[in-house]
Amino acid sequence: MFILNPHSSVPIYQQLIEQVRRMVASGQLVPGTELPSVRDMAHTHTVHPMTISKAYSLLESEGLLERHRGKPMRVAATRRDQLSVAARVRQIEPQLDALVLSARQLELSTEEVLAQLKKKLGAKP
Amino acid sequence: MSVAAVTVSHLSKSFGGREVLRDVTTEVHPGDVVGVIGKNGAGKTTLLETLLGFSPPSSGSARIFGEDCMQMSTAAKARIGFVPQQDELLPTLTGYKQLALNGCFYENWDHALLERLAREWEVPLDRRSSTLSGGERQKLSTLIALGNQPDLLVLDEPVASLDPLARRRFLQQLLEIAGDASRSVIFSSHIVSDLERVANRIWIMRDGNLLWDGETDALKQSVKRLHIRARRPLPAQLDVAGVLTYRREAGDTIATATVRDAPESLPQQLAERLDAQVECEGLGLEDIFLEIHA
Repeated sequence: MFILNPHSSVPIYQQLIEQVRRMVASGQLVPGTELPSVRDMAHTHTVHPMTISKAYSLLESEGLLERHRGKPMRVAATRRDQLSVAARVRQIEPQLDALVLSARQLELSTEEVLAQLKKKLGAKP
Repeated sequence: MSVAAVTVSHLSKSFGGREVLRDVTTEVHPGDVVGVIGKNGAGKTTLLETLLGFSPPSSGSARIFGEDCMQMSTAAKARIGFVPQQDELLPTLTGYKQLALNGCFYENWDHALLERLAREWEVPLDRRSSTLSGGERQKLSTLIALGNQPDLLVLDEPVASLDPLARRRFLQQLLEIAGDASRSVIFSSHIVSDLERVANRIWIMRDGNLLWDGETDALKQSVKRLHIRARRPLPAQLDVAGVLTYRREAGDTIATATVRDAPESLPQQLAERLDAQVECEGLGLEDIFLEIHA
């Protein structure tokens, strides 16, 4: 369900947080969806359980996840509509930064990058 | 805050006038998986063995479950599991007998767990340890350390001879223990990628000093690599706090610097000061380790 890369420079809990945020924002994770338990996640990805619970707790404090006693974490009641465009843009920022970095290294012009991006996004050039 | 499983305070150790451990102070808390990395001879084994009380510190002290490591009660010792770098298996005993023998010394020996793990890890318990491969010996000696369901498990290079599949299973077992939240693990390894996965804390040892002691996440976030490209030659020294390495190349107009605890504004500041393009890159644990030793 999630892609965690322990060897990335981005801490594992941060990767998980960003993925949950994106999946909730995009509607892939709908309200009420149960997330795997901390134990299962830690086992599947072979990472420290604290790493998973740290991500879950932070997502809970953001209001994205809800904890119910004795039950798995669940995606909180609808937030998608409440998320402003600005908030969603913030979530895609790390990917944009990476794109800008690569574009600069390849010395591609802003116009060229924008054109390619538009194509990928399915817009007419 | 829970009571520390291990408290190390100003611990130093010398062998024949050579200081192998210098003034190490740290703690291990229940639920911690501490990954210990360092070059050969950095003092990892000495630190693990001294804090367990195998030989007296030259100065300073270590406490395990609140007891001085040199005067630990039997009850405290029964809560520790240790896997030494060189296994201490008796060559003529089969795995079964080896486990049974060690089990005699503990009241809470978990035969069922060990038999299950032996199957999962594919340890042939019916063979004498003298006929086992390096990896099988390592697995057997880890099983022995798990038998008393230790609250503190200390492993010195336990995975060096294990294949990737066996290592993964072994790491999952460590996490089972850590998941208990009342138990802790200290684990030295050269396989940095394993530690990066499972350790929530990292100790980096260098020349007997504990160079870094903190959360894995914090370490990753604190070290950044800067790629600097300027139109004019760059200075020979980079005048920035926390520089770990700084290398110039290609006619001195391109440079790479690794910086610890850099403020977020540093790339921008440098770009203005050096009239250069500065890109900031995060690093994985292995790169951080290499940069620290560069």
